[in-house]
Amino acid sequence: MRRRSLAAAACAAAAALSLTACGSSSATHGAAAAQPAGSRTLTVWLMDGDLSTQATDAINAAFEKATGAKVNVQIQQWANINTKISTALAQNNPPDVIEIGNTDVPLFAATGALSDITADESSMSAGQTWLPGLVGPATVEGKVYAAPLFAGNRAVIYNKTLWAAAGVTTAPTSFTQLTADLDRIRAKNPQPGFSAFNFPGQYWYGALQFVWDAGGQLATESNGRWSGALGTPAAQQGLQAWKTFQNTYSSPASRNVDTKTPDQAAMFASGKTATILDTSINTVLKDNPALKGQIGTFPFPGAAPGQNQPVFLGGSDLGIAAKSPNQDLALAYLKAATSPAVQSSAIVGIDGWTPISTQLIDSTKGSLPPTSTAFFDAAKSSVSTPATPGWATIESDQSINTFFADIATGRKSVAQAAASFDAHLDQALNASQ
Amino acid sequence: MATSTAPRPARGTARAAAPARPPRRRRSGASLPYLLLLPAAAVLALVLGYPLVRLVLISFQDYGLRALFTGVVPWAGWANYRAVLSDPQLLPVLLRTAGFCAALVAGTLVIGMLVALMMGALGRRMRTAVTLCLITAWAVPNVASTLVWQWLFQPVYGVVNWLLTQTGLVGDLVQHDWTTSAASAFLLVWLLVVWQSVPFVALTLYAGLSQIPRTYYEAAALDGAGPVTVFRVITLPFLRPILGLVAILSVIWDFNVFNQIWILTQGGPNQGTTTLGIWSFTTAFSSNSLGRGAAIAVVSVLLLLALTAVYVRRLVRSGEEL
Amino acid sequence: MSASPRPRARRRALNGAAVLFCVLWAFPVYWMVDTAFKPYGDILSTTPRFLPFPFTLANFTDAIHKQGFLTDLANSAVVTCAVVLLSVVLAFFAAVALTRFRFLGRRGFLIAVLVVQMVPQPALLIPVFLSLKSANLLNSLLGLVLTYVAMVLPFTIWTLRGFLHGIPVELEEAAMLDGAGRMTIIRSVLLPLVMPGVIATSVFAFITAWNDYLFAYVLMKDQSHYTLPVWLVSFSSSTGTDYGGLIAASTLFALPVVVFFMLIQRRLVAGMTAGAVKD
Repeated sequence: MRRRSLAAAACAAAAALSLTACGSSSATHGAAAAQPAGSRTLTVWLMDGDLSTQATDAINAAFEKATGAKVNVQIQQWANINTKISTALAQNNPPDVIEIGNTDVPLFAATGALSDITADESSMSAGQTWLPGLVGPATVEGKVYAAPLFAGNRAVIYNKTLWAAAGVTTAPTSFTQLTADLDRIRAKNPQPGFSAFNFPGQYWYGALQFVWDAGGQLATESNGRWSGALGTPAAQQGLQAWKTFQNTYSSPASRNVDTKTPDQAAMFASGKTATILDTSINTVLKDNPALKGQIGTFPFPGAAPGQNQPVFLGGSDLGIAAKSPNQDLALAYLKAATSPAVQSSAIVGIDGWTPISTQLIDSTKGSLPPTSTAFFDAAKSSVSTPATPGWATIESDQSINTFFADIATGRKSVAQAAASFDAHLDQALNASQ
Repeated sequence: MATSTAPRPARGTARAAAPARPPRRRRSGASLPYLLLLPAAAVLALVLGYPLVRLVLISFQDYGLRALFTGVVPWAGWANYRAVLSDPQLLPVLLRTAGFCAALVAGTLVIGMLVALMMGALGRRMRTAVTLCLITAWAVPNVASTLVWQWLFQPVYGVVNWLLTQTGLVGDLVQHDWTTSAASAFLLVWLLVVWQSVPFVALTLYAGLSQIPRTYYEAAALDGAGPVTVFRVITLPFLRPILGLVAILSVIWDFNVFNQIWILTQGGPNQGTTTLGIWSFTTAFSSNSLGRGAAIAVVSVLLLLALTAVYVRRLVRSGEEL
Repeated sequence: MSASPRPRARRRALNGAAVLFCVLWAFPVYWMVDTAFKPYGDILSTTPRFLPFPFTLANFTDAIHKQGFLTDLANSAVVTCAVVLLSVVLAFFAAVALTRFRFLGRRGFLIAVLVVQMVPQPALLIPVFLSLKSANLLNSLLGLVLTYVAMVLPFTIWTLRGFLHGIPVELEEAAMLDGAGRMTIIRSVLLPLVMPGVIATSVFAFITAWNDYLFAYVLMKDQSHYTLPVWLVSFSSSTGTDYGGLIAASTLFALPVVVFFMLIQRRLVAGMTAGAVKD
């Protein structure tokens, strides 16, 4: 019996191995041997949570109509994504088209992973002015390595019912009015753990708005060398304003966390907070559909009257892998995604994201539901992060998250935190890749 | 069992089905050990040996993303090592790693020993209950257990904060965020790792304990020896070899704890929980300096070797069949 | 059995300590299972509920219907079984070679096996990636299986070797006197006695292959080749964390391992320690 079990084990091992060997048949047609036209497939990697399935289907439909080829979409998670993209692009049969966050694009554009599409840029943009925050990071020494896909901005999302219960019925248009409103909400809801405005301490996308509003910058470049600028008086003032705001209106438990742990949309949906700053109301509605109609939005008002705080221009670009064997098809995909028709109908029409050019923003604004206009308004004054490959380090090592959390929790004073973060910026932004 | 001569199946079947093994002669004496060793050695060489050589090689190269994509790899000589050894972060990282490893090993061994002693004194049913609880904790894969831990200790919604507040001993902890300071973040990870490591130690030590002949304890009782003396004079000497094995394994595993720290704290706050393994990872994958990350990894292995050298040397020398 | 003359009070104190210990040690797993059966509102509540009433299976259905579950489960199962079988077979033969024979390079191999366990796994990510790329094994389950086998072999060889040490040579000598050849001895004499050690090390291999996230994530390019840990991480997405689904998924993920452990728990420790004890 024991001998038979060894034999059986060996047989099973061999069988399992041969099964797995069959599973790796990708090795045999990895180099994309000549395939009959019309049955080619383009592999596209998209990021989780960005485009909805319907929007993606719309892009795919436009592409298929133009080329007759099929699309294989794979949705990637954000966790450790740069490692994933790096190793994917280093392989001999990488995915053809990849969606890369605009702050990460410089890293791949500058290191030879993406194809140069400068020659096709003008035909793709067809006279539109692409948002500098999207195409800037993709441009290295005058050459363009990725095309913009969509932009996303942040605006304030508030619970009309909770606000009305505290006596506030209209959205504030100035910073002083905002704080006055939040004071009333805070007074009306003294229960521990409730935040009038939930603003996690690690939420750097939002915190940076205060810095920019005060006229400060993250980093400045001169003669090709970047240096951190958070120690300047303007930036210091903005950071201090943020610290006060965060400590006053957001619960103590939120000082060291990010927007996911605990999930701020879930907190809003379950009534633990009356206000959040976010990129869209879709997640809140998914968590609690009963809130439909009770949600309002407005751009975060700036300190100066009549102005909004400049927002972080988020969004993604589409890049073509330099080693992909389907360069022509990939270009066609980019053309489909950046075409005004698809942008208006899918990016704006279905998902409510901000489209990729100023002309499109103007032409589509009228068609938006009322809760989405705030995001478009906010986009008018947007800033992007330093367009240098070293920026990806700042996001991956989470030093920027820690920087703001240090200030919010009081681990470091505003000046101290800025000094050490500036030093880190100096080193990381200028590091060669 | 071994002396019976049960009927054997055709010799050919088992061998023919086993993968990657060359045909064997029946009476081969000299080549048999090599042939037996070959498959294991082959896999180790391909997937561990060659990458290790590659790792050391990369540590001498200026290996960044450009090298990964284009294959053009400039030689850096000792530059990476020099950068690592002169990095102001090196000393804090080393101290943290050593301290945390020591705390983990000490905690696991002490608690494991106590649990083993307790199990030795319990009746059969309670012992089975304890064993089942231990096994359950041990079995949960650490990706899942780390996520559950994150959920347990969350501010506002986590149950541990709520329970601690209820005891009234430590004030209102409901909003407390365990990852805010390096010390409490380390405590959080320590609790998780110890929770999952104690079972192995406890069960192993208990197995060793149960091998100690009762007569010794009875004699000690007759002599009127107290429990501490009994432990020192009888239990410890018997357990020495097992303790040694368990300790060395614990040192190696705890020195290289990664998943738990990475998922819970990402090495923060402010690199406060960055151990050698985390530092190597962030240097390689956040700063994209694979060359320097490799140098840190090499330094880490050399360190661990030095730490365990005493045991290895004893193994080699002790006349014990190596 | 205690030799002390104060049985009752001491027994009660001991049992009390044991109960406290059990509660403490089992609590996280109990909380995990409890949360998995709770509805969303009860999960995100500031007052924890210790019994999952109202009871719901919604989290589990969410988890199972999350994209990729069946594929990743199949991949995990195939990879894990292959790793367990392959590593045990290879390690057994290697351990036999190392303990029952004397040959050149034996000591060196042993030391190499010990040293190689000290390398932090994440550091090997890129080198293994490059190595498998050269061997054209990227994005294949075979490449992943070989990776895990290599990670597990050192410990497995070391443990089986320790175990084989504890088996007296006299048994084999007796068999040889009976006219059995080397291979027969290995199969009929050594293997059965080593079975507990084999079980112990197969557990280790099981856990390593089942639990690894980093290598599966990086070495597999296509999502159809992912394993369960990668699937587990996808519950924390940019559109929010589905806690109920995440905890239910963690429970499902941990279940096979826990069951496996429970089935073999008696043989498990015997296997891990027999070699060491006799050392």
